[in-house]
Amino acid sequence: MYDAIVVGARCAGASTALLLARRGHRVLVVDRSSFPSDVISTHFLWPHGMSYLNRWGLLEQVLAVTPAHTTVEVVNDGISLTGSVPIELLREYFRDLHGDDSGVVQSCASVRRRVLDEILVGAAAKAGAEVRTSFTVRELIVEDGQVVGIRGRTVDGELVEERARIVVGADGRNSFVARTLALPKYDERPRCTFAYWSYWSGFDLGPAQLHRRGRLACAVVPTNFDQNMVLVWGPSEWSREFRHDVPGNYQKALDFVSPELGEVVRTRGTREERIYGTLDQSAFLRPLHGPGWVLVGDAESAKDQCTAIGMTHAFRDAELVSAALDRWLRGDTSIDEAMTVYGDRRRSQNAAAYHDYVCTLAEMRPYRHDELQLFVALRGNQQETDRFIATHADVAPVSEFFQASNLFLLNDAAKESSADHAVFEDFAETSRSYQQNLFA
Amino acid sequence: MTTELDQREDGELIGIILDAAHRGDFETMARTASEVSEMTRNWATHIPWDDLASLEGADDELARVVADLTEMWEPAHLRNPVDPDEEYALDKNAYDFYRPAGRNLLTRTEDFYGWVQARRRTETWQYSRVLEAAPDSVAQITNDLGRRARGINFNSQDYLSFNTHPAIREAAAKAMHDYGPHSAGSPMVLGNTRISDDLEAALGDLVGLDHVTLFPTGWAAGFGAVVGLVRQSDHILIDRLAHSCLQQGARAATRNVVRYEHLNVEAVRRHLAEIRATDTRNGILVVTDGLFSVDADWPDLVTLQRVCREHDATLLVDVAHDLGSMGPGGTGVLGMQNLLGSVDIVMGAFSKTFCSNGGFVASNSPALKQYVKMFGGSHFFSNALSPVQTAVVREATRIIRSDEGDALRARLFTAIHALRDELTGRGLTCMGEPSPIVPLLIGNEKLARTANRLLFDRGVLAFMVEFPVTPTGSSRFRLQVQAGHRPEEAREAARIIEGAIADSRAYLSSAFGSAPR
Repeated sequence: MYDAIVVGARCAGASTALLLARRGHRVLVVDRSSFPSDVISTHFLWPHGMSYLNRWGLLEQVLAVTPAHTTVEVVNDGISLTGSVPIELLREYFRDLHGDDSGVVQSCASVRRRVLDEILVGAAAKAGAEVRTSFTVRELIVEDGQVVGIRGRTVDGELVEERARIVVGADGRNSFVARTLALPKYDERPRCTFAYWSYWSGFDLGPAQLHRRGRLACAVVPTNFDQNMVLVWGPSEWSREFRHDVPGNYQKALDFVSPELGEVVRTRGTREERIYGTLDQSAFLRPLHGPGWVLVGDAESAKDQCTAIGMTHAFRDAELVSAALDRWLRGDTSIDEAMTVYGDRRRSQNAAAYHDYVCTLAEMRPYRHDELQLFVALRGNQQETDRFIATHADVAPVSEFFQASNLFLLNDAAKESSADHAVFEDFAETSRSYQQNLFA
Repeated sequence: MTTELDQREDGELIGIILDAAHRGDFETMARTASEVSEMTRNWATHIPWDDLASLEGADDELARVVADLTEMWEPAHLRNPVDPDEEYALDKNAYDFYRPAGRNLLTRTEDFYGWVQARRRTETWQYSRVLEAAPDSVAQITNDLGRRARGINFNSQDYLSFNTHPAIREAAAKAMHDYGPHSAGSPMVLGNTRISDDLEAALGDLVGLDHVTLFPTGWAAGFGAVVGLVRQSDHILIDRLAHSCLQQGARAATRNVVRYEHLNVEAVRRHLAEIRATDTRNGILVVTDGLFSVDADWPDLVTLQRVCREHDATLLVDVAHDLGSMGPGGTGVLGMQNLLGSVDIVMGAFSKTFCSNGGFVASNSPALKQYVKMFGGSHFFSNALSPVQTAVVREATRIIRSDEGDALRARLFTAIHALRDELTGRGLTCMGEPSPIVPLLIGNEKLARTANRLLFDRGVLAFMVEFPVTPTGSSRFRLQVQAGHRPEEAREAARIIEGAIADSRAYLSSAFGSAPR
């Protein structure tokens, strides 16, 4: 009999197992995969994601093999902003959400899952969690409406049954736990992006760059093995046409969004792997918990990749849920009360506002004149640029940046105007041309 | 690596598997699945990648796998069609239209208008409702589509229910008879009457300050006071949530504007010290509301005024919502903090408790009064309050200060407590402190807009506020309570509101709650 069985041993699961084991609870964590291995992911960690790793003592191990930077460059229709998430906002985030702000770091990094997940699984095992890989969960054991354990097949093909006081579903968007319990989906937003990416060697462009033009975007981010992740994305309405020629359209999208990057990739880059892709990214929430079970990470709240927040959110959930479960397992509170605390944090107004923010961005509508003008107004205003980046990354609440008096002030303090940026010439025509499917 | 490089992309492979499934070609399905990347296999753990061949004959399971693969393969919006008007109406925000494109000022407002029309068609536009009769605790209104509704009225800012008070109506009728409907001109020319002088004296008495100036609206008073006093080299520290008239006044007056964290007096002290460290020559105006209408709370004005004096800064407090409706003898937040007569500048509005239009600026300085009259453009260059309005406010001020005023405030607060207790008891979040404004936090705009649509037909008239009044993602119902609300009416309204929110959540299939963070 375990205190907790965690289904899924990647960002959400291994972390939850690690944190519960460190608090002295008996934990079993299982995963279908063996490690190291990859999984579909844009594998970017924002500074709060890196801070979690640091709080758990794992950051050094990650940084030993992964390039990291404190700044990111965001270029929207040629309007470039460079900034970093302010340390005070990071501290505030950790104090508000977790009650302490230790271990905060300002860097961000792109970590391949075959690197990161192995570190997490190793740390969970070292902390005393029992880790079983190549383990397939076949059934949830339910008694009197209460989930009390799992039945599954071990790596040797043996069928086993394990029981625990709680089963944590950390098994991603397609969660077996959620599907078996037939959990409904809430707050669905079907419009999302398609994303295609691969890994390139041959160039080093420094910190992460995110570019957006019309309805398409691309990112070049340095990652492990001296490679760059080069990612393009666009509205899923265009995905069928994109698929007709994936390598050709991948380059075409790069050339369209940033001719400079397209040139670098074409002339200096060597592609090291096949091109990967997904368009199954529509956002939804699931119920967070029920009798004998609780969900964390993508299983409870899946979102589009366009703000690259999934892994950071999985770490956040791991800290929240392990703190809540710990109080209950120690007998300090009831399970209902512990889950209410977890639920309040995860279904808060700020969470709702960020959900809407990501989903709206994922529709990949061409930026409107006023949105682009906001980016112009931010140029030269480092403090507000940083706050905008912090808002984009879900460190600072959407409501604090997108507040009337703040936006008016930003406008008034602008140092540049639309006259300084080419996109505003004949804007109406440009905007219309952006509606054309580039791959049709 | 080369072999991995040459492998086909997963989307193409899934396409082939789906085609093969339709042909019943299980061999191709299994062979193609083995080429699917580790990335996708580890992600789509619900697909039995290694066992596709075994699906032969298992029709139900095959159908499920085909459905799951299709979900990965087809854009989701093709599966879940939505009403485009409703989607457009609910997903947008007024801020999305703040910077229209194009050089033709007449045509570039069309985009915004398109959104307004979508919200009207979906009955989620809260801004164009009209009254069909004098409102009291119940009102009858018509919406954009000409539909009528009658409901418990939380839309009036008539906190002491003066709109139906016989003495108020009598005062209006008498002024109409004596002076006619027109104020002859600007108060600087001949717009004021004997009643105006009486009113200035009565208001000065109420807030404990000797010199009062009247303005045609509350907005004009706030804007005029700020632009009248502050020049380009001066500084303004303003609470983030201070009223729009003060925010816009600040923007018009100087670029040196700091918006400090709501209610944070320590932040003000810090900002003042920073400014005074480099600028000892110019003025600093610190601006706050008394009772904040958005969050129903108020600052520690005692400390704020002291901090201002320590740094040679001037404090302006807007008492539009609290004066008359709360505090000892209706003296509002100032009276509650024993500050009558000792705040630098006080401004207020008559549009709430005083049952009219108009506003005022008060201080202990006759010089400041004359200066603001001259340089606060909204005083000099607007027609004065009409004699009817002035008389109504004067009569309202008299009642506010009388025993009847105390009785009305007691009734008001009984209704406020009934409403807040019932809402809180039902698990909803009332923000701030008990005051005539009860902000009921909703958060998500979509939820607020659809709940508002339901309330229209269910007998509660509540005003929904969203951006630009509140920050994005922090919408709420602003329930404005009146002395005329019976406690049972307030509780009934709370029950109806809770039902509407629950039904909207179900309609939107939303799992978000109302905890703030």
